[in-house]
Order: sequence, then C-alpha cells, then structure tokens
Amino acid sequence: MENEELVNKYFEQQLSEEEKVVFESLLQNDSEFAKEVAYQKNVKKAITLNERETLKQTLQSFESNKKQPKKTYQFWSIAAVFLLFFGGLAWFQFMQDSPEKLYQEYYQSYPNVVAPTVRGDNDRNLKSDAFYEYDSGNYQKSLELFSKIYVDEEVDYALFYQAMSLMELNRYDEAITTFDQFKTSENNAFTPFVKWYKALSYLKINEKEKAIQLLKELSEKENPQQQMAKKLVAELE
Amino acid sequence: MINVPNLIEQLKSGDEKTIRKIYEDNKNGFLLFANRYTLDKEELIDIYQDAVIALIENAKKGKIDELKSSLTTYLFGIGKFMIFQRLKKKNKTIPSDELEHFEFEYDDYSEDEINIQLISLRENLKKLGEQCLKVLTLFYYEEKKLDEIQMLLGYANKDVLKSQKSRCLKQLKDLTKK
Repeated sequence: MENEELVNKYFEQQLSEEEKVVFESLLQNDSEFAKEVAYQKNVKKAITLNERETLKQTLQSFESNKKQPKKTYQFWSIAAVFLLFFGGLAWFQFMQDSPEKLYQEYYQSYPNVVAPTVRGDNDRNLKSDAFYEYDSGNYQKSLELFSKIYVDEEVDYALFYQAMSLMELNRYDEAITTFDQFKTSENNAFTPFVKWYKALSYLKINEKEKAIQLLKELSEKENPQQQMAKKLVAELE
Repeated sequence: MINVPNLIEQLKSGDEKTIRKIYEDNKNGFLLFANRYTLDKEELIDIYQDAVIALIENAKKGKIDELKSSLTTYLFGIGKFMIFQRLKKKNKTIPSDELEHFEFEYDDYSEDEINIQLISLRENLKKLGEQCLKVLTLFYYEEKKLDEIQMLLGYANKDVLKSQKSRCLKQLKDLTKK
C-alpha cells in the first residue's frame, strides 16, 4: 500500500525530496516495483496516443469535408455575375466607394510570428515586451518599442511590425514611409507581406493606381500572397 | 474580442465546435507563416494538426490556465517548435537566429507507436469499461490529481477512488495477458 501511494504521488508530481529518494532506491532494488512503474508509464503513453489519434481523426475530418463550401462559393460567383449584369447603375455607384470596402474585406492583422513566446516573468526583454503589446492590441506602445528595437538593431521584423502598428493606428501615410525603408529583396520572407500591406495602405488613402501596381508585382511570381493579390487586382480593375 | 479563459475552458471540455473554430481560424495564418520553411503543404498541415492537438492536451492538463499571450501566439509557437523538430529529423538546417527559447512541455511519443506492448495496451484500453477509462484518462492523460478526480467524478472518498483505479489497472493487465 505504501508503495502504491508513492507511485500515485510520482504521477501526480507530488513527491517530496525524501520520497524521491525512497522512490529512486525502490526503482533500483525492487524489481516488482520497477515493473509496476514501467507498466503504468506505458498505460500513460497508451492513453495519450489513443487520445491523440482520436483528435487527429477529428481534425482530419475538418479537412476532408471542406469541399462543400466550394460549391456555395461557385454559386455565389455565378450570383455575382448576374448581379453585375442587372445591377447597372446601382452597381456602378457601389463601386465608387469600393476601395474602403475592399480594404475592410482584405485587411487582416498580421499575426505575431516572430517571437511566439509564452511570457514568464523572468525572461522579459524589449522584444518580448514589444510583441506582448502588439498581441494585446496596444499598438501605440508596440509602435514605440518596435521603433526602438529598429533604431538599436536594424532588424527587419522590427521595421515590419512598426509599420503594422502604424496601420492598426490608422496612420497609413507613415506606414507607407516605413514600408519604403525596406530593402525588398527576393529572399526576404517579409517581402511579399511588405508589398501586400503597403498596397492595402495605398488603397486606404485612395491611391488606387499605386496599390494596383504593387498587387500586380505580387501576382506575377509565386509567393504566399499571390492568390490574394490576384483576387484583389481583379476586383479593383 | 474572444474571451480567452472561456475559450480554454471550452477546449478542456473537448467541445468540437470550439476546436473547429480554433483550427480553422488559425490555419491560413499558420501556413502563411510556415511557408518559409522547406516543407510541403501536406506536411505543414500535418504539423499544424499536431500543434492543435498539443494545444488541447496542454489546455486539459491545466498548463495554459495562466497563459499571458494569445492562443494564436501560443499555437504558432508550438507549431514552430514542431517544424524545427521535423527539420532536425530530416537533418535540415534550422535558421540559427530563430532557435529561441520557447516554454512548452510536450512528450513526443511518436517512437513508441511501434512498441508491441504499447500496441496491445492501446487496443485493450478500448475494451475497458467506461468508468475505468474515465478514471485512467483523467489521471494519466489529463494529469489530474486524485483529489480533483474524486471531486469531478463524485467519489465518496479518496480510498474508494484509489481502489477503483487499481482495479482498473488490474483489469487492463488481465486483458493484456489474454
């Protein structure tokens, strides 16, 4: 019974320092005890693997029954064609204020993909603070912190998230100036997103031509934003 | 804003709607972000699914009750960690500036999937009665303490629960012997 208590506490991670010593020595010297612990560890693994397998199947089922939305998508595109046909003047007027609408439709906050750390109290630094503010929606704060990081270290991500913070604060002209500082080379992972968000900023301040030009550059080569850019260009033209 | 603690509570209960929402809301963002690593889309989706599973698992274990970042940030962190593991297995190089410290506990049992003893244990678990499976799952998978399980399942006292648990383990052993 005593031993069973020890094993339970071991799995509960509740062993005191003395109990740990007893536990270890039993593992070494009592083969029955060692066998029992090994068995329960296997039970833990087996249950875990079963649970994971069930969840995996659930997630895979999300993937496989995704085909249905496509049908409705098709339906809506056909409906859109009809609308275009018969909408006439009303449609034309609707188009007048479309940059704003399109912006709303296409703009999505860019997630924090650089420092996805779970912040403990002991590992805080400027970078994690900046992302913490950004994640929490305190864009004025994150703007200040990212600007500071960029001044100090001239790293791309700081410049990028500085611009993103500006966009969140509706300061589009400044966002564009910030994006302009990027050296948009081919192999920089941020390049397509810099172009994309710069285009959206132009859209927001009604510089449609400039937006289209950037989106066309994005549509030409394969990149993560290629499809989105194609779609948006088609809607703008 | 989505209420994060509430979302974590729903994850703990295994609510499929919540799981689906989290899965679909973050998938494209993850693929966008993971695009820079040399893995094909199929594999990235596979990794993404494993990351969601780890997220749910840690929610159930109560490890993210004190989460300071958003769920998305945490999920992407797990995903990134798993991408690096995958790249390491393939002996591909990982961009050194990205090897950051990430606080995340997760036992990767993938190598145990071919262990014969485990395979038979996994099969026999499915034959176990509902109550036994519940007790064992709460204790070993969700890492709940016996006191918590006693409350959750309404056992009169801890000793009853303890003997129930050892009976379940014995039952499982007997099944495996057959």
